[in-house]
Amino acid sequence: MIKYFMKKTVKLKDRSNSSIIRLDKVWKIYNMGEVEVAALKGISINIKRGDFVAITGPSGSGKSTMMNLVGCLDIPTKGAIYLDGHDISQLSESKLAGIRGKKIGFIFQQFNLLPTLTALENVMLPLEFQDMPTEDARKIGVKVLEMVGLADRLGHFPSQLSGGQMQRVAIARALAINPEVLLADEPTGNLDSKTGLDVLDMMKTLWKKENKTIILITHDMNIASHANTQIKLKDGLVV
Amino acid sequence: MRLAKSLKHALNILLHSKLRSWLTIIGIVLGVAAVVSIVSIGQGLQQNVQNRLGGLGADILTISPGGGRAAAGFRGSFGGGGGASGSGTTTTSTTSKNLTIKDIQILKLINGVKYIQGIVSGRGETYYLSEKATISVDGVDPLVWKDMTTSEIAEGRMLGPSDYGVVVVGNRVGKNTFKQPLALNRILTIEGKAFKIVGIIKEAGGGDDNKIIMQIAAARDTLDDKGGDNFDSIIIKTINPNYVDTVMAEADSKLMISRHLTSKRKDFRINSAKATQERLADITNTLTLFLGAIAAVSLLVGAVGIANTMFTSVLEKTKEIGIMKAIGAKNRDIMLIFLFNAGFVGLVGGLIGIGLGSIVSALLPNIGLRLMGNGGAISTVIKPSLLIYSMILSIAIGMIAGVIPAYRASKLRPVDALRYE
Repeated sequence: MIKYFMKKTVKLKDRSNSSIIRLDKVWKIYNMGEVEVAALKGISINIKRGDFVAITGPSGSGKSTMMNLVGCLDIPTKGAIYLDGHDISQLSESKLAGIRGKKIGFIFQQFNLLPTLTALENVMLPLEFQDMPTEDARKIGVKVLEMVGLADRLGHFPSQLSGGQMQRVAIARALAINPEVLLADEPTGNLDSKTGLDVLDMMKTLWKKENKTIILITHDMNIASHANTQIKLKDGLVV
Repeated sequence: MRLAKSLKHALNILLHSKLRSWLTIIGIVLGVAAVVSIVSIGQGLQQNVQNRLGGLGADILTISPGGGRAAAGFRGSFGGGGGASGSGTTTTSTTSKNLTIKDIQILKLINGVKYIQGIVSGRGETYYLSEKATISVDGVDPLVWKDMTTSEIAEGRMLGPSDYGVVVVGNRVGKNTFKQPLALNRILTIEGKAFKIVGIIKEAGGGDDNKIIMQIAAARDTLDDKGGDNFDSIIIKTINPNYVDTVMAEADSKLMISRHLTSKRKDFRINSAKATQERLADITNTLTLFLGAIAAVSLLVGAVGIANTMFTSVLEKTKEIGIMKAIGAKNRDIMLIFLFNAGFVGLVGGLIGIGLGSIVSALLPNIGLRLMGNGGAISTVIKPSLLIYSMILSIAIGMIAGVIPAYRASKLRPVDALRYE
């Protein structure tokens, strides 16, 4: 596993402190029938490679919109988003899917595992979308599941796992593609506080040992305090 | 995503699907089973007809009077109900000129003709042990007839050249027409004349089963209006089946000339067993196609069921589609997974349907269902091609039904899909 991440780690050190995601005067306006609602109002932020960033704010502050844009799930109404120096704000859905599949690992509040697939199959899925041969995908899948401490749960279905275990499978799935960015949306929201801390510890470890860029989106300031950098949103603006 | 993987995930969805999917599959099962069993009946019918006609001999041509009367084409070859009621023999048309010995002499010279004879045929009131029936009678030249006919003798013997007062009877005449089965050496009274039965023909499924056959001179003396030199038909046996078409064409032109006819006033027609066979094959083919099309309607209903279920399934899996898109699934990946899923529904439905259809088709002949008055129970034939086509059809139907739902699934925006609960 270490070896698997070594290559990128070395590369990352060369470029440390360079920007991985940059938002330039980004607007997101939702059209709600007759009314237009601006969820983000010209936000500019810069997330550095290898940073652990918490994006916080009360509900309605634009957190979810922010996460969608940073995660390449959506494109802004106005403004530009640079990922690794490339403007992604005008790309088609298929191109965005390609970028997500290679560079971004998602961790959701609801875990979002596919219920009909085993833990290992869930972890292998993003690799299969990248056309990786099954054997290679299986090797990586087993490795990342070992890394999150679930080596003995490979064949279990999500329904046979506890909440903490499911979230660890989700982390393993996010790690499988060896992403540039780990994007976690309220990752502890559905876990009890102890399990939540375990998950946070695991993310910190990934940040420190593997030099991953981690973006944590949460409304909980206690959780956010684990991060290195804080970005606070309110009413669609950075405060 | 690789195709094999898309297939795997599509199969996974099917395996984890709910009762609803299985109900959808039943829709396809019933459709395919209906198509398979009905088409197998059609093909059985076709084979049945061909077997019967095959007995007539592919090298035989029949010339009969009457300008283009369609019924004449079936003369003695097919149809005819049980017993004596409906033989295929058409009585001489009074409006058309009869065939004569002159015609035979002209036809005899055609290259490829092996045997030729004129036949007199009619219907005779026949008494046997004071029971009456009206039966078709053919008057033949015994010498030529025994070489030309494809009928075989079951009991007794063929007609001999000097057999004036004797007859050979068809199998069904012998067994079914009278309450008391006919037997060798018994006397039949036909149109007031006594005839001794010397032979009974083996059942062949052809027209001879319902006939009494006697020497031509005896037939002329016995039947009404058969005196003189006229024939009701002329039968030609060619050297081999390859000559049928050329002999047919030449016979046609020679008769036209000798009888001073134009094609509009043609007063005879020539039929070959081969042509009859082809015509009947056409009819049974059409019938099969027609029945199959009716059955296919139920498949169509099944297809609508698949489309319906796929829409529901896509709706139900919206969140999962969102997840897959978030972790890198492209529109094409989602499209293929759902398309293959629909294809699998068709495949499974098709497989079970073929099995069920084959069972039904195997059982049908045993439940005594009778089709067409010829007394035979339904026979069914399942050709491998039918199974292959049904399989391809059901997969195609599944995938076609799944196109729109799959397309919709692929176009879901990941943001919206992820938010869906």
